[in-house]
Amino acid sequence: MIRAVIALSAAAVLSAVAGCSKPAAAPAAPAHPDLSGSWVRPLGDKEVGELPPIGEIPLTPSALAKLKAERPAAGENQDFANTTDPSLRYADPNGYPRISLHPMRFKLVQTNDYVYQLWEYNQNWRQIALNVAQDPDPAITWYGNAVGKWDGDTLVVDSVGYKDSTWLDARGLPHTQDLHLVERIHRVGANLAFDITFEDPGAFTKPWTAHLIFKPSPDGSMSENIYTISDELRFRERFLNQKVNIPIRR
Amino acid sequence: MRRCIFVIALSTLLTSSSARAHHGAASIYDMSKETTIKATVTEFVWTNPHVELGISPSGGTTTELLLELGSPPNIRNRGWTSRTVKTGDVVTVTFHPGLRGAKIGVVVKMITVDGKELHA
Repeated sequence: MIRAVIALSAAAVLSAVAGCSKPAAAPAAPAHPDLSGSWVRPLGDKEVGELPPIGEIPLTPSALAKLKAERPAAGENQDFANTTDPSLRYADPNGYPRISLHPMRFKLVQTNDYVYQLWEYNQNWRQIALNVAQDPDPAITWYGNAVGKWDGDTLVVDSVGYKDSTWLDARGLPHTQDLHLVERIHRVGANLAFDITFEDPGAFTKPWTAHLIFKPSPDGSMSENIYTISDELRFRERFLNQKVNIPIRR
Repeated sequence: MRRCIFVIALSTLLTSSSARAHHGAASIYDMSKETTIKATVTEFVWTNPHVELGISPSGGTTTELLLELGSPPNIRNRGWTSRTVKTGDVVTVTFHPGLRGAKIGVVVKMITVDGKELHA
């Protein structure tokens, strides 16, 4: 009996010593969800959402006047032959978030410092710098200056510095260079959700939000699809019989 | 000898199109109509914004009807490649015709020389 007690005590001491010799485990780094992959908004899919109807967007009088003066290529007030859509008339980059409304895919690539969003359409891309402050005087660019941080399972992206010649969507929804977007990007089951809040005192009387859903693309490969002004001019001369002011590419 | 080509069908149908037409399709094509003809391919250009298919219903070598398909990556996903058809092929093509008699159209589907049906 005494021998058994001594043995148990020795085991307990040895166990305690062994435990003391191990350094305490460091707290696990917060694991972020994997947002990477190829994502798409399939044409005609009712689940993927759109920007709200124009009547639900709190446009300022000047933004409403600008919208009414535009001639989109499709939909209400469409005038394809004489459209003012800069992405067709000049083959300008779509800008953001319009490029994500395009039915082609994008790929998200995550690193520790950046998230890259690579759009198949026109091979345009943007970078979201993680855990850095927003630039108070950003360059004015087609795709803005985006910074991000994790809020639990959600990547929160703040972006500014958008060139005001782009449309927010194919309807001609305008904005100014003061556009400020806050996006909450998170997984919803197998899908990826972008909840985008639009702030722009020159264009909107108050902030408003759009909810977009992207679905996993079954094919992760990306193809080249670069569209240029010479492509558009060629199309206009051949299909619309329009005279163009530079020789079209043959 | 000039190849004898017949227009095998010229049909006007009410249809809900699956064609992925170019921007502004509704203003340049009659999307409520479909026309099906057999014709000789005069050109097939793999380009943006939309792939171009020139055809000659009379069997000639010059383009009498200019048709557009989807963009290159979109129609590639539906089985097309830049070698799907070549000049001189005789194909059966279904398209939405141009408005106001314009000699253009947007392809809905095509049957290739080897009988393969592809949607645009």
